[in-house]
Amino acid sequence: MTPGTGQLPEIQGAQRRPGLRGWLLFAPLMLWLFAFVIAPTAIMFVYSFCQRDELGQVVFEFSLSNYTRVFDKTYLKIFTNSIQYAAITTVICLLVGYPVAYFIGRASEQIRNKLLMLVMIPFWTSFLIRTYAWMSILKAEGPLNGMLLYMQLIAAPLDILYTPAAVVIGLVYSYLPFMILPIYGSVEKLDNALIEAAFDLGAGPVSAFSHVIVPLTRPGIFAGVLLVFIPAIGMFAITDLMGGGRVPMIGNVIQNQFGQARDWPFGAALGMTMLLLFAACFALSMRKSDAA
Amino acid sequence: MKRIGGLIYLLAIAIVAFLVGCKKDEPAAPAPGAGSAKAPAAAAVGKELNLFAWSEYIPEDVITGFTKETGVKVNYETYASNEEMLSKLLAGGTKYDLIQPSEYVIEALVKQNKLEALDHAKLTNLKNIVADLRDMPHDPGLKYSVPWMVGFVGIVVNTDKVKDPVKGFKDVFQDKYKGRIVALNDNREIVAWAMMTHGIDVNQMTPENLEKVKPTVEKWIKLVKVFDSDSPKTAMMNGDVDIGVVWSGEGAILANTDKKYAFVIPEEGARQYIDNLAIPKGAPNAEGAHLFINYILRPEVSKLVSDKFPYTNPNSEARKLLTPEQLKNPASYPEIKSKQTFRDIGKAASDLDKMVTDLKAAAN
Amino acid sequence: MDVMVELKRVTKRFSGTTAVNEVDLTIRAGEFITLLGPSGCGKTTLLRMISGFETPSEGTVLLEGKDVTYEPPYRRDVNQVFQSYALFPHMTVQENIAFGLKMKKVGRAEMDERVRSAIAMVSLAGMEARKPTQLSGGQRQRVALARAIVCRPKVLLLDEPLSALDAKLRHSMQVELKQLQKKLGITFVFVTHDQEEALTMSDRIAVINKGKIEQLGDADAIYHRPKTTFVANFIGQANILHASVVAREARQARVELEGGLTLTTSEELPEGAERVLVSIRPEKVWIEKERGEGDNWFEATIEDELFQGPTDQLRLKTDGGLTLSALVANESSRRTPVHAGDRVWCHLHHDDIVFVHED
Repeated sequence: MTPGTGQLPEIQGAQRRPGLRGWLLFAPLMLWLFAFVIAPTAIMFVYSFCQRDELGQVVFEFSLSNYTRVFDKTYLKIFTNSIQYAAITTVICLLVGYPVAYFIGRASEQIRNKLLMLVMIPFWTSFLIRTYAWMSILKAEGPLNGMLLYMQLIAAPLDILYTPAAVVIGLVYSYLPFMILPIYGSVEKLDNALIEAAFDLGAGPVSAFSHVIVPLTRPGIFAGVLLVFIPAIGMFAITDLMGGGRVPMIGNVIQNQFGQARDWPFGAALGMTMLLLFAACFALSMRKSDAA
Repeated sequence: MKRIGGLIYLLAIAIVAFLVGCKKDEPAAPAPGAGSAKAPAAAAVGKELNLFAWSEYIPEDVITGFTKETGVKVNYETYASNEEMLSKLLAGGTKYDLIQPSEYVIEALVKQNKLEALDHAKLTNLKNIVADLRDMPHDPGLKYSVPWMVGFVGIVVNTDKVKDPVKGFKDVFQDKYKGRIVALNDNREIVAWAMMTHGIDVNQMTPENLEKVKPTVEKWIKLVKVFDSDSPKTAMMNGDVDIGVVWSGEGAILANTDKKYAFVIPEEGARQYIDNLAIPKGAPNAEGAHLFINYILRPEVSKLVSDKFPYTNPNSEARKLLTPEQLKNPASYPEIKSKQTFRDIGKAASDLDKMVTDLKAAAN
Repeated sequence: MDVMVELKRVTKRFSGTTAVNEVDLTIRAGEFITLLGPSGCGKTTLLRMISGFETPSEGTVLLEGKDVTYEPPYRRDVNQVFQSYALFPHMTVQENIAFGLKMKKVGRAEMDERVRSAIAMVSLAGMEARKPTQLSGGQRQRVALARAIVCRPKVLLLDEPLSALDAKLRHSMQVELKQLQKKLGITFVFVTHDQEEALTMSDRIAVINKGKIEQLGDADAIYHRPKTTFVANFIGQANILHASVVAREARQARVELEGGLTLTTSEELPEGAERVLVSIRPEKVWIEKERGEGDNWFEATIEDELFQGPTDQLRLKTDGGLTLSALVANESSRRTPVHAGDRVWCHLHHDDIVFVHED
């Protein structure tokens, strides 16, 4: 659980070799990890070096051609495209999510729990339903345009749905809670006296924020950025539904390999490449945060 | 610790969502005792039938009617694309009794010997299938499959917004309609439309032919606002687009809701798709599958399907039971000069996919 | 003397409860003033209205004659030492101390010099590169102090800064703080609930109870001339006794305590009072074997004796049935050896019988 990293040093003090009972308690998690993380990844790894036959079945015939194809300029462009979208999403989520998380984290306990509940509520409905709801809000004859037209703020319906902007709206909407929650965790732990100390020492709100609050909530920011950026790169449903399927993201391309194109080995190679990319990003940022 | 609690909560939600997702994908296992293992001989109809079919394609009352009559419980699992169905079927692990592939998939499955031959003696209602669908190239003589519904890819126009006459693909993909077009999100489709426009056989998916149509596809992709195969009518009804190339069933629904929507069969060529029922090799309840096929071939049952999903009904007796309005709907029963059907293109699907992906990526 | 801080009829209410109630307080430049009171009395709220973390519900706060009631903390020339020290965990000692100067955009050279001298002043040389987590409690305390004084504030506010230290360290820090204050000449406003700390360090003490200042004065006045039963009880120990006025004279009064004991006092009597309360510090009760010179002598029996280290606490009972507590030097150094069960003569000086108000 990446967001827990901030807690690690505290736990380490009590570290001790788990006994048999400890391992037994641990077993379901290990089993789960093995069945749903390690095994599928291993299968994908093997597939990524295979070929497909006429029907699209995987043929075990070693080849690196899938990987050479990954680095074709078509897919590189899609990779950079996806990274751009994910980066924009992450930045907006951070800008929007930080103040929200901060507000919740500093609110009184009673209000805090209610606000947290509000952040969680969207998870109660299916992701697809929420996406369709956004589509009907943004559509040309939807309530947003209706309201703007009624208020005479615009003369003609805004063209939002099926544009890159709609994709970003959808991505931000979906991933915002994943930014808010870890930052909230950091903010909640933040000692109010430290903020007061900053004010006391002559720091205005801006300086106090940049010199004290941000550095002290960095673990939360870091976790939030990871939790938003990484899944956002691979997202495909939103690009299809809200982007009108025009902007292929790497997630769409991969999905296509397992669907229409029926080229599992190539899809696996794309997936493995992405996995490596994430691992590299993660290692790099971990080293950075260690150094800081 | 509160924050850890929150995150665990979140994680728990994610896991639950994941498991629920998994569960949906797991077909109900055939009941023990179903199928051939226990069945001694002739009347070996299993107690359960595992049906793997398109979503929103088989009316509920057809299934309940079948169960009521035969006592066979139907486990209806759905898919959204032929490829999805193929992936799951070929992955093995599940024994389906009845699948519903389109014609080019039937062809591929037959090639790979993945289908059970049908026992025509048990399909007493097979005679109801119209003559011109009995000898299609993908399965001559209906040895392995029985047509379920037939549809076309056609053009739907909002005549309130588009005043110029629209006859074919070339009238749709014009610069003046940029950003007002919906198209099926299917890479083979858009390439096929371009091939028809160029007068090329849609099944000659050679690198040369791909290269030839590439500029056309490139130009068209830039004009399209929405690619959607699941429900292209939505963008149309929402007012986000005014013209599009969609499934005839979708077009028929639009035409039924409002007179302003017109359905046009493209003059360049009508791509006909035939969805069929077929029995995969090794189906545990092939007997029950035959029963089901024969059941839906009854005119009164087939009519129920047409009422709900206004595609072209291949059942000549069922058509006689339809209302004149149903038969007049141009999207359901269009007049077509030359029909084209997709054949299996094997590995070329991969080249085609790459080309369209490339063009889509470049279009932005 | 110049006035540094002035609180005028300051009231602070928090959703229903009144933390500070119409307080008037004038703090002189360069003095060491202590706000003393039990927890929840409003002393910290009072401090926070000076630092700017709380805005008064009513009243005004003046700093050097300027109204700062609604100025945010970062625009006030005061600095605070927090109870928890509130050192920035992500900064080194050096960075923590330099923070205030950095915010004030002090030049590099001057900043280095001032930080260096502040570090020297609190004897932390060599610790500059450490993080707060690598310091002991006493060292953190010093960093917090250095971080505040390096800014050269007009007023230094200290919110129970010693409460987290152990007793020994606390004593040496008390002395150090007092010396530092003298050396720097900065006005110190010190909040504590520890009466001993207050008596040791302060020029003046404001005893606060239930959001009000009960008494303001120097340590001597607070101790020897408590005005209320609260002050008498909160600072040191006291025998609080009911009395009725028997006779009033020019600069004297005679009062009769329970059990018929009549005493003379030099205290100013409250106008027109008949029934009064008197406070008698236990260590002011003289114990002798024989009756001595003058008045205010009475006989009593030692009922109980409690060893308390340097002193013994005695419970005395007069013949009239009045119970008094007295403190005497412990047994081995006692001038007059007395023991439980003994009959003794007790004496009280006129000045040591103090009239107090009930709160």
